[in-house]
Amino acid sequence: MNGKASRNISYVIAIIVGLIIFLATSYRVFGAGTLDEWVEKFNTTAGAGGILFVNALVGVSVALFVAQLKWNALRVTITVIAALIFGYVVTSLFNLDTANKYTQGEFIVALVSDAAPVEQDDVDLQYGRQRGGELNKPGVRDPLTEASFTFAGNEGDVITILAAAANRRSEVDLQVALLGPDGQTLASSTSAAAEQLEQFEDLRSEKDAVIADFTLPASGVYTITTQPEPLSTGTILSEAISATNTAYEAFLLGPLGRPNRWAVWIQDALTLILIGLAIAVVFRARQFSLGAEGQLYFGALVSGAICLAWTNLPPLIVVPVAILASMTAGFLWGLLPGVLKAYLGANELVATLMLNAVATRFYELVLTFQIKPPTAGYTASAPFPEGNVLAPIIPDTQVTIAVFIVIIAVIATWLLISRTPLGYEIRMVGSNRKFADYGGINSKRVIMLSMAVSGVLAGLAGAHLAMGIHRMLILNISLGLAFEGVVVSLLARNNPLVIPFTGLLYAYLRAGAQFMERDANVSFEVVRIIQAVIILLITAEALITLYRYRRTDRASTPDQKPEATAAIEGTAHV
Amino acid sequence: MALLEARDIVKVYPNGVRANENVSLSVEKGEIHAIVGENGAGKSTLMKILYGLEQPTSGDIFLKEKQVEIESPHKAIELGIGMVHQNFMLVDSFTIAENIALGMEPQHGVTIDRQKAIRDVEQLSSTYGLHVEPNQRIETVPVGMRQRVEILKALYRGAEILILDEPTAVLTPRETNDLFAAIRNLITEGKTVIFITHKLREVMEISDRVTVMRDARVVGTVNTRDTSVPELARMMVGREVFMVVDKPPVKHGKSVLEVRGLTYANEAGRKLLDHATFNVYESEILGVAGVEGNGQTELVEVLTGLRDATAGDAFVDGNSILNHGPRRVREAHVTHIPEDRLTNGIAADASIADNLIVDRYYRPPFTKGLLLQPNAISDNSQALIDQFGILTQSGEQPVMSLSGGNMQKVIVAREFSSDPRLLIAAQPTRGVDIGAIEFIHQQLVDKRTEGLAILLVSADLQEVMKLADRIMVMYNGEIVCMLPNGPDLTEEKLGMYMLGAVRQTAEEMEAGGS
Repeated sequence: MNGKASRNISYVIAIIVGLIIFLATSYRVFGAGTLDEWVEKFNTTAGAGGILFVNALVGVSVALFVAQLKWNALRVTITVIAALIFGYVVTSLFNLDTANKYTQGEFIVALVSDAAPVEQDDVDLQYGRQRGGELNKPGVRDPLTEASFTFAGNEGDVITILAAAANRRSEVDLQVALLGPDGQTLASSTSAAAEQLEQFEDLRSEKDAVIADFTLPASGVYTITTQPEPLSTGTILSEAISATNTAYEAFLLGPLGRPNRWAVWIQDALTLILIGLAIAVVFRARQFSLGAEGQLYFGALVSGAICLAWTNLPPLIVVPVAILASMTAGFLWGLLPGVLKAYLGANELVATLMLNAVATRFYELVLTFQIKPPTAGYTASAPFPEGNVLAPIIPDTQVTIAVFIVIIAVIATWLLISRTPLGYEIRMVGSNRKFADYGGINSKRVIMLSMAVSGVLAGLAGAHLAMGIHRMLILNISLGLAFEGVVVSLLARNNPLVIPFTGLLYAYLRAGAQFMERDANVSFEVVRIIQAVIILLITAEALITLYRYRRTDRASTPDQKPEATAAIEGTAHV
Repeated sequence: MALLEARDIVKVYPNGVRANENVSLSVEKGEIHAIVGENGAGKSTLMKILYGLEQPTSGDIFLKEKQVEIESPHKAIELGIGMVHQNFMLVDSFTIAENIALGMEPQHGVTIDRQKAIRDVEQLSSTYGLHVEPNQRIETVPVGMRQRVEILKALYRGAEILILDEPTAVLTPRETNDLFAAIRNLITEGKTVIFITHKLREVMEISDRVTVMRDARVVGTVNTRDTSVPELARMMVGREVFMVVDKPPVKHGKSVLEVRGLTYANEAGRKLLDHATFNVYESEILGVAGVEGNGQTELVEVLTGLRDATAGDAFVDGNSILNHGPRRVREAHVTHIPEDRLTNGIAADASIADNLIVDRYYRPPFTKGLLLQPNAISDNSQALIDQFGILTQSGEQPVMSLSGGNMQKVIVAREFSSDPRLLIAAQPTRGVDIGAIEFIHQQLVDKRTEGLAILLVSADLQEVMKLADRIMVMYNGEIVCMLPNGPDLTEEKLGMYMLGAVRQTAEEMEAGGS
């Protein structure tokens, strides 16, 4: 009873969270304005209905995630948030030099006076003239840290000194001082007033410095010194944080900024979901197989070759055949390490990594010498013929009918794992291979098949990349996504119904990273750090679970106190 | 005056298990103090606390009426408390003398004085009547000697109080007698022994006083001569225990399992199972006795399809079952309760329901067409949970969440519910509590009375003698005798066969084989 009630509650929460995500993504992607603006944007965007449809699927993925993982969903969310916070700290560390812009840049010093200029040869300035320079120029061995200029003046001259950033790009924050002939500081300034900004067009902002209407006390040679105002820690921090905020805004909201950015997120997510599913199948059988990369390359190569070769046949035949061929290629390339492991005892990790190298080199070889048009300036195939690609469901994007392929793949993988005899065998072999053998399961066959089935999904990912995203064969077609499938699968606890969510999440972080790099000039490495931290936290979480299990285990194995006694009571009744 | 005293020891593990609840124990100098209790009664925890492996949550320990903190085994040894674990902690590739001296080797300049170590061991060995051969490597000596090495190791470190944790579990009857003689010797030399066991007969034979534990508490401490086995059993279990099995005489039926010349050699060519030939009949328990490691494990693994035989054949109801893996064996209606049940008999993180169908998931009603039938699977698990009294909230719980006893029941439920013709049970009561042993024994006998053929492999000679209709003894991979079980069959007689001192001729075996 109680269990049923709590299950219902978790379903309700799942549906609410899914709905919120659906509404939020749909709201952002069409411009986040008022409702009228939103409707306007929606009506003028091509394929808006398709975007809504895919967003609904995103909502479903989130709901599945919550419903399947329950409290673990919270832990995954906290893991990701912790990683994002860590990434924020790292990003702001990288941004600590943002404030340096106030200490470097080109400047001018102008000397204004109505008095008659004093002619003298060995001084730098005269009334009505200006000099300039660049302070703290980066990459220079002895940069100019402080500038000083001399001028000659007579007693009673009224002068105004302007120190200003020289052009629009320079944000240097100046201070200026006037030294008398005896070296005493007579006047100084760190800023310019608003009316002075109006009065002198050399001035650009309040950060410039002005000594206004100073009457010289004696005749002689005076010195003007100017230098950047020293930075306070507060300035450094607030600048770093505001730069980081800008970057994180681009990171977290970038993928929803415009429909074309949204499409980048979705198309990468489709790839990651397929690879995540592939990894989940082998991980369920507790085979540490990382062959997805190679299987993906073969899938891409075979489907691409078919699309390029069969120009005369109708796409309605070519496209399904190409997809099936990619699945077959993945199956065979996955079966190979499976056979090596099951019958020769080859370590699946080593075997698959080696076979990945073989597959990628073979792909490059065929692409360079067989497929590349002789006239092409770079190593890539000709674009696939018009119809021989996965048809977009949203015009002018790479969000294609692959969406449906992925839906089918998720359902099929879930059915396979939890509702078929093979899936049962995979789960038992993964849980305890000795038990599976004892129970009569042919664990060698199961290991082989799990790796081959995994290859089918990775091959499909290859077809999606070739026929859906690039629409040609290029070098490095996997974009390094293959290994990230491991994280996608681990985050989802190898649960096929959760992988759509983790794939979307991970693709979102990747897309956000691209836009952060583009919009806020933060390097992709920071994103790598965030990803690494996520992996670390997942691992740590797994270790904690293991540790707690072992503590319990150690405590209760020699002395299974309460249950063991209960067990006797139980047997007494049978 | 008490030599070692524990007062009001409470131990709560981090997972909330209360393993000791106000436990008090008082051991006097020069006595053999037995501690008995079922698995999980808290006796191992108490010993770990006395040996410094665990820290009590509260309570005090006094040695010679002085309070002591035993924060580590190192400290325990300093205080003169030594412990011999159930699983020996010896370096197999070292000699006996090296193992005993390990960590406190006599020095000769910068090198180890091996000769002195050997002389020390010889002297110690003769003082206490614990015979060992100092120059033999551990891996080459029998279990009984390894145990003596462990005891000498503790004595070498100056132990005055020796804790022996289930010392007889791994010994043959003869080795047990030798051990008891050595223990009596230790007492005459002024040592004190704490003896943990759940074999009540041994308690009666060797101990001076007994402390009984149940449910994390001490039930009582009694003088051995004032008590009896039934009384101790009642204290341990908390109710009357009937140690006898109700075993009606049944005439056995036709032959179910026929084994002919079964041989298994390992990669090195050593014959671990040598030309075994025997039958098991309907309504019969054939007991396989023998010191562990004489081919029983190999016999079971070959018969259940987990290993391929090198030669020979085996038939169930006339169909050969060998060398085609466990599924063929199971389809011939052979079920198997494995020796390492908790490692091989279950998938710990899978659900109870999944664990209950490993031998039948691919057949209707569990699979129809291409798909598993979740309803059939959960019906099956609910029915078995009810029938076998598995304590759990639901069949969807992982087996890991069950207690050891309930895990065993999951295995028994699966194996008994598969309509078996032949049951192969390996060490069915190892690690099982007294109350549960009673249950399992009765189950085996009832099944046999109903017509099941049972091959019972057990290192516990009393168990075999209690249950079996016929007994065969394995020695060195061979069957050395086949005897009908009866009142005139003694442990001593079987012991002679177990040690390889005598063997039957082929004709004698033939005579015992029908």
